[in-house]
Amino acid sequence: MSSSHAKDFSFWGGRIPPEIESMSKNLKDVDQELFRKLMKAVVSSLEGKDCVSLMKSIAESTTIPQDRLGHIVAGMHRVLSEAIRVPPSSLKQEAFKENLRELRIPEDFISDFSSVVFGNRRSALETATSTNDPHLPALQDFKWRVDVAISTSSLSRALRSSVLMQMKLSDGSFHCFEVPLSKFQELRYNTALILKEMNDLEKRSILQIQD
Amino acid sequence: MTSIIKETQSIKEAVTFINAIDVNKFSRLISRIIQKLHLKGERTFSEDEEQKLQTALSLDKQALDLVLETTAFILEQAVYHNVKPAALQQQLEAVHLNPDKAEMFSQTWAAAGPELVEKLKNNIFAPKKLEYVGWQLNLQMAQSSQARLKSPSAILQLGLRKEDSEVQENVFADFNHQELLEFYNKLEVVQGQLDSLT
Repeated sequence: MSSSHAKDFSFWGGRIPPEIESMSKNLKDVDQELFRKLMKAVVSSLEGKDCVSLMKSIAESTTIPQDRLGHIVAGMHRVLSEAIRVPPSSLKQEAFKENLRELRIPEDFISDFSSVVFGNRRSALETATSTNDPHLPALQDFKWRVDVAISTSSLSRALRSSVLMQMKLSDGSFHCFEVPLSKFQELRYNTALILKEMNDLEKRSILQIQD
Repeated sequence: MTSIIKETQSIKEAVTFINAIDVNKFSRLISRIIQKLHLKGERTFSEDEEQKLQTALSLDKQALDLVLETTAFILEQAVYHNVKPAALQQQLEAVHLNPDKAEMFSQTWAAAGPELVEKLKNNIFAPKKLEYVGWQLNLQMAQSSQARLKSPSAILQLGLRKEDSEVQENVFADFNHQELLEFYNKLEVVQGQLDSLT
């Protein structure tokens, strides 16, 4: 692949992000062991885990000054988050590596980056980063009950069935409510309708367009 | 058939008053009462209207209250036991209500009864009731952490209303294709249960 072709598309978009640029300038004297430790910490933090203590122990184990470590970590974080954003169908491994080569990052380090972005931890990273995005609560737990009202204070023989639903949403809210039969049918019909529309949408050509 | 109206002292009093009311006036009265019977806690007549009724029927406040309450009570009992109109008429005559008034009760019950029973069947109380189902299908193109998505997502809006309030609470939930399918499958199981009841 010619370098001019690679310049047409970098996985980070237009200009080189400052973090990535400064990382590439700070990788002198960084051995692979240190690089891998830092990479582990960055991946950990992308997965949402706390890595303050991990970073402290890394900083203590090396003579490289903290602010240089800071530049490297920031750059790694940026490289990984930008690369994971783009679906693997659009960003191929070779193109990714080529982009990093342009920054004169050592080949070993490029392989390390590549094994995170294209390895089997990728989907876990994608799930972890997407939880920070705005979204409406999802249905976490759904329980239901079918009731038949046999008799009420106004009717000695009512014999009316109804559905009781209990929904727990991912934002922690909890809703318990009765669904009259007619509304239940409406809910069921509408759900089926949305599913049909989703199917139609997924078949349409707009989704087949490769980018 | 057990009598649904026991001849208590207050029934006797009420019957005397009702018998004295002009037939046409009573007909309008009973129609209005049965119309509003399914509404809990609502007054059938406003203060103003009750004043006018007192004059029109030559009854003092206490007597009017008794007449209105007893008429409503008779109808409520009819609903509760789901009596046949003919049986109702018989039972009212048994407590010494005039035949013309008894027939009026019976006719009103025959005409408006079934609809009233339906309304009351639907009046089952529950902490919250589902009143509104709305939805929106979106095609999500990207988000902060993911570019070039093209994933369909559905937003379901459920309007819940508490028993005694006018305010509807909206619950919004997001579903992707898989989640919506799982939800639908659960609804199908519920439907299966409902079908096994009939």
